[in-house]
Amino acid sequence: MNRPRHRLRTILTLAYLNGIIPIQTQPLYLVNVVASPFSFLFFIAIASQGRLLGYGVAGGMLLTVLSIGTSLQTDMSHYKQDLKLQDLLVASPVEAPVYVAGLALSELMYSLPAMALFIVLLYLYTSVTVLGAVTIALVLLLVWGFASALGFTLATYFQDVRETFAISPLISIGLTVLPPVYYPISYLPGWVHPIAYLSPTTYAADLLHGAVGLGGPDLTGGAIDWAVLIAFTLGLLVLASLKARWREP
Amino acid sequence: MEPAVIARDLTKVYPKARAGPPALSKVNLSIPAGQVYGLIGRNGAGKTTFVRIAATQLMPTGGSITVLGRDAVADASEVRRRIACVPQESRPLYFLDVDQLVYLYLRLRGMDRSEARRRTDSVLEELGLSAVRKKLVNQLSGGMRRRAMVAMVLASDAEVVYLDEPTTGLDPLARREVWGAIRRASQEHRTVLLTTHYLDEADALSARLALLEGGEVRLEGTPSDLRARIRHPYRVTVEGVLGRSELQSYGEVSDIASGFLVFARESSARDLAIFALGKGARVSMGPVSLEDIFLQVVGRSIEEEASEGAES
Repeated sequence: MNRPRHRLRTILTLAYLNGIIPIQTQPLYLVNVVASPFSFLFFIAIASQGRLLGYGVAGGMLLTVLSIGTSLQTDMSHYKQDLKLQDLLVASPVEAPVYVAGLALSELMYSLPAMALFIVLLYLYTSVTVLGAVTIALVLLLVWGFASALGFTLATYFQDVRETFAISPLISIGLTVLPPVYYPISYLPGWVHPIAYLSPTTYAADLLHGAVGLGGPDLTGGAIDWAVLIAFTLGLLVLASLKARWREP
Repeated sequence: MEPAVIARDLTKVYPKARAGPPALSKVNLSIPAGQVYGLIGRNGAGKTTFVRIAATQLMPTGGSITVLGRDAVADASEVRRRIACVPQESRPLYFLDVDQLVYLYLRLRGMDRSEARRRTDSVLEELGLSAVRKKLVNQLSGGMRRRAMVAMVLASDAEVVYLDEPTTGLDPLARREVWGAIRRASQEHRTVLLTTHYLDEADALSARLALLEGGEVRLEGTPSDLRARIRHPYRVTVEGVLGRSELQSYGEVSDIASGFLVFARESSARDLAIFALGKGARVSMGPVSLEDIFLQVVGRSIEEEASEGAES
C-alpha cells in the first residue's frame, strides 16, 4: 500500500466530507464564519474613522483562522461524544494525525470566502508587498496549525460537547481579545504587555501588522516573533501527538 | 484455522473506578475466524469494554489480546488495517446521504474510487438500501440508519467486524433487517464479534457465544454446548392442579403467572411431564432458551442493569 498517497486521499476525503458537503447542504455556514471578524472590522473602522482599518483587516484574518481551532474542537467533540465517529475511525486504517489534518482542512474550507474578502480589502486599503503576502500566508499557516492542534487536544479530553461551549470562549479571549490583534500593542497599558506576550497570537499579530505596512517589529523583534510562533506551533503539535487521546487510556 | 481474536487474562480497570471491581477480570476468550461470535450479558457486564479493547479503542489494564495474530496494543496500526467497528450508540453523520455514508467510509479507509463505488453499489443492493441511497440519513428510520451503519463496515475489506449492540432500541422488524446484514457477513466467512443483550438475537446469529457477568466469562461455547453444560437443560411449565411441593423433587421450581416453571434434567423433565399429565395438569416441555440459561447461571434476568464497577 502506498502510505503517503493513502493518507492524502483520507485527508482530502475528510475535507470533502466535513467541509464541502455541509457547505453545499447549508451555505449559511459560510455567513456564520464571516460574521464575527467582519463585525469587529466594522466597529473598529467606524470607531477609528478608518485609521485602524488595516489593523482590523489583519485582525480579522487572524480571528478567522483562529476560529478554525474552535470549530474543530466543537466538531471533534460532537463527533467523538455524540456520533462515536472517532471510535469508528480508530478501528480503521485512519491515523490520528490524518484525522486532524483532514478535519482542519475541512474547517479551512469554511473560512475561504472570508479570507477572499479580506484579501480584497488588503489590496484596496493597505500596501502589501510580495514579501508581506508571503509573511501573511506563513503566519496564518502557523496559526492554523496551532489552533487545530489545540482544538484536537482539548476535544479528546472533553466528556461532553457542552464542556467545549464553556471552554471555547475562554480560549478565544486568551487568544484574540487580550492580545493586540485588532489594534497596535502600544494602545495597551504598559503593565498589560507582559500578559499579552504570553499569547502566541500577539507575535502573529505583530508579524501581520508589519506585513500589511503598519509598522510592526524590527529585525530582532521579527526574529523573536517567528521563533516564538514556530516554537509554540511545534510544541502544540507535539503535545497533540503525545497527549491527545486517540485510544482511550 | 488460527482464532481471529485471542484474549488472555484480559483485565480492565477504568481510571476513575479504581476502588470498584474491574470492568473485565482475567478474561480468556478465543474467537474463531469466519463465524459470528456472540458476546452476551447485562448492561455493564463488560461486553463493550471487551469490544473496545479488541477494536484498539481502549487500553487494557492487564493481560493480552491479539487480533489476527497481532498484538492489539503494541501493533495497533497493523490491526486497524484489518478491522472495522460499529460502536455502541454510534450515529451516522446526519448531513450525508446513505450512498455518501458508505462510499466515503470506504474512501477514508483508503479504497480507490472504482472499488469503493463497486462495493457501495453492491452492499446497498444486497441490504435493500438502494431505494433510499440518495436520502439523507437523518430522514431514515432508526432501523434503516443502523442498517446503513452496518452496511458501511460490511462493504469494507475488514476481516474482523465488531458490532456493538447493533439492534438496541430497534423494533422487531428493524432488528430482523440488521440480522440479515449480519448473516450476509458470516456467509462471506468474515469474523463478526456481536455484542447484544437480546438473547434471541445471539441464539439466532452466533455460531459460538460467551456469557459475561461482572467482567468475567461465565459460560462459553456453541448455543447447544451452553444448553448441555448447565445443570437443568430442560424447562417444563405446569399449569393447573399441582402445588409447588409436588414439583420440587424434579428440579428448580419458579412461579410464573399461569402456574410453575421447572428447570430439570432430561429424565426428570420427562418423568415430571408424565406425572403432571396423569394428574390432569396442562404441561409444555422443551429445551431451555438462552434466557433460561442466563437466569440459571447469573441468577438474574438479563434485563437488569449490572451497575457495579463496570463503566460499560
